[in-house]
Amino acid sequence: MLFNNQDFDFSFFEIPGNDFKLEIDRNKFVNPEEGFQRGNMICNEYEPYKNYNDLRLIPKSDREQKLLKVMEYSFAITDLNLYLDLHPEDKEAYRLYQKYIEEGKKATKEFTRVYGPIVMTDGSYANYEWINNPWPWDDLGGNLYV
Amino acid sequence: MFKYVKHTNYPIDIKKKDLKMAKYLLTQFGGANGELGAAMRYFSQKFNMPDEKGKALLNDIATEELGHCEMIATMVHQLTKDATVEEMQNCGLGSLFTEHGKGVYPSDSNGVPFSVTYFAVTGDVLADISEDMAAEQKARAIYENLIEMTDDEDLIGPLLWLRQREVVHFNRFKELYDYYKKLGY
Repeated sequence: MLFNNQDFDFSFFEIPGNDFKLEIDRNKFVNPEEGFQRGNMICNEYEPYKNYNDLRLIPKSDREQKLLKVMEYSFAITDLNLYLDLHPEDKEAYRLYQKYIEEGKKATKEFTRVYGPIVMTDGSYANYEWINNPWPWDDLGGNLYV
Repeated sequence: MFKYVKHTNYPIDIKKKDLKMAKYLLTQFGGANGELGAAMRYFSQKFNMPDEKGKALLNDIATEELGHCEMIATMVHQLTKDATVEEMQNCGLGSLFTEHGKGVYPSDSNGVPFSVTYFAVTGDVLADISEDMAAEQKARAIYENLIEMTDDEDLIGPLLWLRQREVVHFNRFKELYDYYKKLGY
């Protein structure tokens, strides 16, 4: 794990009526890979359900591998975005946010140059590729992560 | 305005047909505590947020929830796609099939269509945001009920993930609530 915070005190979650306050902590975010897997980028806010483990995503093809990277960065950006909406002054979080935007752009390019556009304006192709299957809801026999 | 991104928020890759779960899951698309209600609730409430923090947060969570609608509808689609009419009838999806065929119609598990009466826009910042907090908790509870009813990993994975997003959204709304309360709203 790139960022880890073992020192955080969880106890305030248990105190009824205690004012909820986010500790501004420089090590408070997990990396996009871990954050994406569990659906939460913030170390001390993660609340697992009972003893369930989050699904470990294992890409089965080059397409899935490349798309998974795109999705991880997209998620990290979304979650940091919500946090930054309330803490726009947090420079550390903003730096991470910018970093993941840059890395996300690279990952998107890796995917789109081989597998077609993710947003309408992606790439420059010989043909109109936007309509091409698979669409995200398509099920091609349990073989695709889209 | 909105731009479409051609992937789901989190991968949906369901291999096993399960019509009962499809019926139960549908409520998280078009039911009282579902994702469509969440998206429309925050989308509608954002116009009355008093400052940048509230405008940005409600706008951005509403946008994420639209993606969650697509995730749930995708799960329902993949769970029912290969079902025969007879199988649908045997699993209590006969009336759904009558009205909608294999289409994914935003309704609850009993086929009651989505309704905007599931949410409020009061024009009162604290009333709206505390409803948003409650909505996230209710959706979390329903994801937990759904997780309890299946042992299919392909379903549990996305359901755990969506549940965790409810946790995160609750925390953000709670922060916003406390912030406005402090400002004297």
